[in-house]
Formats: sequence, structure tokens, C-alpha cells
Amino acid sequence: MSLIHHRALVAAILLGSVAFAPLAMAQDYDANATIRIGSLYEPQNLDNTAGAGQGINEAFNGNVYEALFQLTDAGTVVPQLVESYSASDDGLTYTFKLKPGVTFHSGDPLTAADVKYSIERVTAETSKSSRKKSLSSITGIETPDDQTVVITLSARSISLPYNLSYVWIVNDKATDITATEDGTGPYTLGEWRRGSALALARFDKYWGTAPTNGEVVYTYFTDATALNNALLTNAVDVITSVQSPDSLAQFQGNPAYTVSNGASTTKELLAWNDRVAPFDNVKVRKALARATDKKKLLNAIWGDYGTLIGSFVPPTDPWYVDLTGVDPYDVEGAKALLAEAGYPNGFEFTLDTPDYDPHPIVAQFLQAEYAKVGVKVNINIITANEWYEKIYKAHDFQATLQEHVNHRDIVFYGNPDFYWGYNNPDVVKLIADAESATSEADQVAKLTEANKLIAEDAASNWLYLYPQIVVSAANVTGYPVNGLNSQFFAYGIKKAK
Amino acid sequence: MTALQQTLLPRRRIVSASLTAGAILVGLHVLVALLSLVWLPHDPTGMTGGRLAPPSWEHWAGTDRLGRDFFTQIMIGSRIALTVGIGAVAIGAAIGVTLGTLAAFATRLLDDALAATLDILIAFPTLLIAMLVVAASDTASLGTAILALGIALSAIVARLTRILVKRVLLMDYITAAYTSGTPWYGVVIFHVLPNVWPTLSVNFALQFGLAVIAEASLSYLGLGAPPPNASWGRLLQEAQGTVYTAPIGAIAPGLALVSLVIGVNLLADGLRDIADPTRKGGR
Repeated sequence: MSLIHHRALVAAILLGSVAFAPLAMAQDYDANATIRIGSLYEPQNLDNTAGAGQGINEAFNGNVYEALFQLTDAGTVVPQLVESYSASDDGLTYTFKLKPGVTFHSGDPLTAADVKYSIERVTAETSKSSRKKSLSSITGIETPDDQTVVITLSARSISLPYNLSYVWIVNDKATDITATEDGTGPYTLGEWRRGSALALARFDKYWGTAPTNGEVVYTYFTDATALNNALLTNAVDVITSVQSPDSLAQFQGNPAYTVSNGASTTKELLAWNDRVAPFDNVKVRKALARATDKKKLLNAIWGDYGTLIGSFVPPTDPWYVDLTGVDPYDVEGAKALLAEAGYPNGFEFTLDTPDYDPHPIVAQFLQAEYAKVGVKVNINIITANEWYEKIYKAHDFQATLQEHVNHRDIVFYGNPDFYWGYNNPDVVKLIADAESATSEADQVAKLTEANKLIAEDAASNWLYLYPQIVVSAANVTGYPVNGLNSQFFAYGIKKAK
Repeated sequence: MTALQQTLLPRRRIVSASLTAGAILVGLHVLVALLSLVWLPHDPTGMTGGRLAPPSWEHWAGTDRLGRDFFTQIMIGSRIALTVGIGAVAIGAAIGVTLGTLAAFATRLLDDALAATLDILIAFPTLLIAMLVVAASDTASLGTAILALGIALSAIVARLTRILVKRVLLMDYITAAYTSGTPWYGVVIFHVLPNVWPTLSVNFALQFGLAVIAEASLSYLGLGAPPPNASWGRLLQEAQGTVYTAPIGAIAPGLALVSLVIGVNLLADGLRDIADPTRKGGR
């Protein structure tokens, strides 16, 4: 069973070349330009299985390292180092044919052994990869020849290609990849000055389409204001992720800059502890969802940016449906529901609030909103570390605020042991069944159903989706606007001559 | 008018100038704090204005991101600052004076031990000790912050008290009091404390300023009184991200904080000059 639609792929490539042909012929951009990217997220080291932080994804994913599949900026999964692949009828054996002619930066050719080595690096005992668990169904990796990898699974896993998009393919002969690299991507590591900048140089023997620039320099800042000033003084060309709408005033309406407003996957969440009263009562959860003027909150935090969401699923996930109408803002309706639930005079609860922006201000907003329906909120400010110990591990809380950054993370609602303790057997089953679905359409149908159920249950109070704001000099184009999972593909960035 | 009085006159005016300015600044804050108990321009948690509205007739210092009135919050901030200052100094004084006096009266060994402990405590910055106390408690509250700062200040007070009491104990009138049969507690209450009080009171005023700044720092770090208590430190922290688009949010609580601390320090200066005749005329 082949999952690739060759004809569609060919058509897409043709369309792409038609669309870009006039640009390429005119050569209105500098093919050897240096693109200076300003970021707040310096990687701790260069290995994404060694706790390097989100910065390494931003700099290296798709640029220095590639994977068997790529998660595109639009949220779809496409083959990258895979030429073709097929799955057995029982879905337990996947056979991948690698692209021929791919070489690592060191000059070594890409072989099946490298792929096996790379996957085992992520699933290893010592790996700190956040994706380790999602690959746990892999029981064996075999390499019948240099171009073929056979993966066997303990259970069907429709998201295997998606999960493999997180596995960087590293040369199995590479050593010390926390400080150097050996990938197959369009750039090689140039100079890395810790604490300040990381340079990527164009790899001239790259197997795919050559980058539209000559060099990329990620420049790191610890302070958002300094980063904004760097763009204003032309010290950087683009800022990967602006974290407050108030610094945008200096760029908006100025023809020298472009402000792009993409969709992130970061969700601001008021998570109830669904195990404990009164939040084990769906009416209470729905009442408080209706008592929240989310539009006003989003405006307070992000001005005119950001998106309202009615559940945990952002628009870039395939199972997104607009659910903002399930529990619309309605104070009177909220009061009626609370009375039905047995709390006509409201109640009191403690909201554990992480001490960093925007959580404290969001907590104060909720405190004022819920006072209107007779619910008293006690704000308890905690550190990120306390949050992890008290809430994530010990589940010792009534309600908390947190930002959830991951893509395709609705699966958390299928785990009754997760910190928020949501346990709906129908949802658990749908999410488990979706993973063992036989087709993507089936998977999407099941997860869409689960998505609707969690919204109906008001499992948590999903406050808003963060915007992904990229600001650049007007002469710089072609950067990713959504930045899913902090990726920032640099190979398509063009700088006008 | 004698020549001596003439030379003293202009100096006296300088002294009373700092005292007057200090008293006015502190008095203003006390008035605002008292006023805030009975009247506020807006509901402090009411989201009555637009996002980051500039100062207007309706909102004298503009509004914050949630549309809450800044001026109202600063008024409440005055009350919190004064409460923390008075509370922390009271706790610091109670512990510090007791410990300091005890050390001065104690045996050589106990005195040395106490003095060494105090020296070690003073080696840590006040704010750090306060942070440790807050961290040791379960939940942050205004009470915890006051207690933490009081404990942190007590070491400074205790060390000063010990030295002052020791100096007084060497005086002839103390020997006279003992000789006339006054018990030790009578000596402390009637002879020692009245004589160390002038210096201590000046020090308390300075500690008050220190406590106000430390509380703002704690709140800035999220360790002070939890929201919605409008501590100036928290207002400053919340205004950090909007300092370019709505600078009033940082300037207003900053000014309030600075004016109270300068006021208290001027007051302390003035008080010191009255209390310590040898330093009359300033530094």
C-alpha cells in the first residue's frame, strides 16, 4: 500500500517551479546574501536529544539536519529523505526506501544504517528527546540493504511518519554532535560563538534545491527590547518570534518593515483538575467557560493579534474544527449553570499561577470575571519548577494556568493520568483508535470527533491561541510564518538586491 | 541675639527644611493611604477603561492592559507600602531590640555567640533573607512578606541595639541606679531604653525605607503580596513589557516609590539632627 500520491507530488513540484520561475529568471534577490536572524532562544548545545532547548530546533531543523519526513510550515507531513514507503496490511511493518545520492556534510553517503542509528539515538535510555515516548511502539529496525529501512511496530501507528519528522538523521560515524554536526541539510555549521551567534553556511553539495541565500547567522539576545532595537538599527534582518504586541508599534505602518501574523501552536490554558470537586462536574466547567470573556482577554494580552479557540486544537492540526460557539461568553447562562450544578452562591478555588508573563495578568483577569458569577479566585503565584513538581507530577492543585506549545497534542486528553485528570472513556478510546487507524482520513475523523467531545465536556478552559509574529526588514521575504514546533526554515529566505 | 545664636540660625533652617520636606512627602502618602480606605476613583479590579488608555480626566494615570485604573492601584499601593513599612519595622524592632539588649546583658560567651550570629546574618542582603523566609512558607501573602522583611531587618536592629546598650551600661547613672537598688528590668525600662531610643528611632525610619524598597522588590519577583493587591513592585513588573508604548505605567508607581523612600530618608535625616546634638548642622 503506497501512501504517496506520486502524481500529486509531481504536480506540486511543477506548480512550484511555475510559480517561482519568473522570480528565478529575474534574479531580483541576492543569491549569496547573508541573512541575519534575531532570536531569544540560544541553544544550550547542538543535539536535540540532549536537552538543548527549542533554540536548536529553530536553528537546525530542516536547515542542518533533515528527517525521513518533514513537518511543513502549513502543518502537513511530506517525505524528505524518503523516496517512497509502504506499510504492510496489518500496519505493523513499514518499509522505507531512502532518496539516492544524499550525502552528509562530511561527505559520507546516507545509508540505512545511519537511519537506524538516528532513531535509536532518540529512543535510547539516555535520550532527553520529548518525542521518545511517541516512538515507543517501535520494536525493531532492520536494514536489508543500504537504501532500505524496515521498521516493525508492536501496534499500529498511523502517526509514525509524523513522529519520524522529529528524528534528525545523523551520520552514524559522527562524534560529539553536541558541539559539531553531521547532517544532510542545505547548510553546514559555520562559526558558533556561544552566547552570541551561530552561523550556517550554504552546503554546495546539497542533494535538493539550493538555498536562496548564501549564509544564515542566528544572533541571540536575552532581552526582547534589545532584539527589537537590533532590527531597528539594521543589525538583524528578521525576528523569529515577537512575544508582546506592544513592541510592534514601532514596526507597524512603517514601510521599511513587514509584520507577519501567523498561527502558532501555543495555547493559553486554564486547566481544571478534573478529578476534584467542583471541577469534576461538567456543568461547573461549562459555566466557567461561559463566564470568561475570551475576546476581551485576548485583546488585553495581544492587542489585535492571536486567535480564539474553542478547544485544544489549533487551526494547523488536521483535526481542527471551529468550536468557539460551544460555550460562548454568557454571564447569565453561566450563573444558571452554576445554580443547576448546586452552586447558586458560587464557590472559592485556588488558581496556581506560574510567575512569568502572561499568566499573572491572565489570573487577575479571571479573578475579576469570575467574581461576576460569585466564584472567588485565590491567586497563588508559583515558579515554573514548582509547577512541574506540584502540578505536573503530584497533581496537587485545583486549577492552574499553563501555555502548551506542542503541535498535535490533543492526545494528552486521551491519557487519564495526565496532570489535568480528564477521563472520558469515549475520548480515550477515540484517541487510541485514531493511532491504530488504517488511513489518515480515518485518523482525522476520529480525532475530530474526540476534539468535539472535549469541547462539549469543557475539559479545560482554552483561553486563546498565541499569534506567531515574525517581523522583518521589508527587503527580506520567504521565511516561515507559522514556525510550528519552533522550526524556522531559512533556505527559502530571499534578500532583495 | 548673641553671636552664637546667629551662627546657629541658618543651620537650623537647613535642618528643618529636610525635616519639613520629609514630613510633607510621608504625610502625603499617609493621607492618600487613609483616603484609599474610604474612597477610590475606580473599582481597583474593575476593567473600566480601554487597553493601555493614556492619562485622561477619567483615568488620571491611564489604565493597564486589562483596562484597570492605574491611579486607583497606586493609591492602594501607598497603603500596602506603609503597612509593610510599619509592620516590618515593628517586627524587626521587637525582635531586634530584645535580642540586642539580651546580648548586652548576657554573659561573655552568650554575647559573643549572639554577636557572631548577627554578623553572619548581616552578611546576607536583607532581600535575600526575606526571599528565603517567603520561600519557606507555603503561600505568598502580605503577612508573609511583612514577617519575612521584619525578620530580615531584625539582625540590623539587634546589632545596633547591642552596641548602644553596651555604651549606656558603662555610664555612671546606670551604676547609680544599680546602687540604689533598681532591679535589672527597671534599669532597662527606665534608664537604658530612653537613652538608646533617639538613635534607634532614626534607624527605624531608615529601615522603613529599606522595607518599602524590599517589598517592592519581592513583589516585582512575584514573592510579595499576591494579586490583586496592587503593590508598586508588581505594578512595575507588569508595566515592564509596555514601557515603550505606555511609559506612564512604569513612571507612576516608580515616582510613588521614590517619593515615599526619599520622604522617609529626609525625615530620618531631620530626626537624627534633632536627636544627636553633636551632629547638628548636617554632615
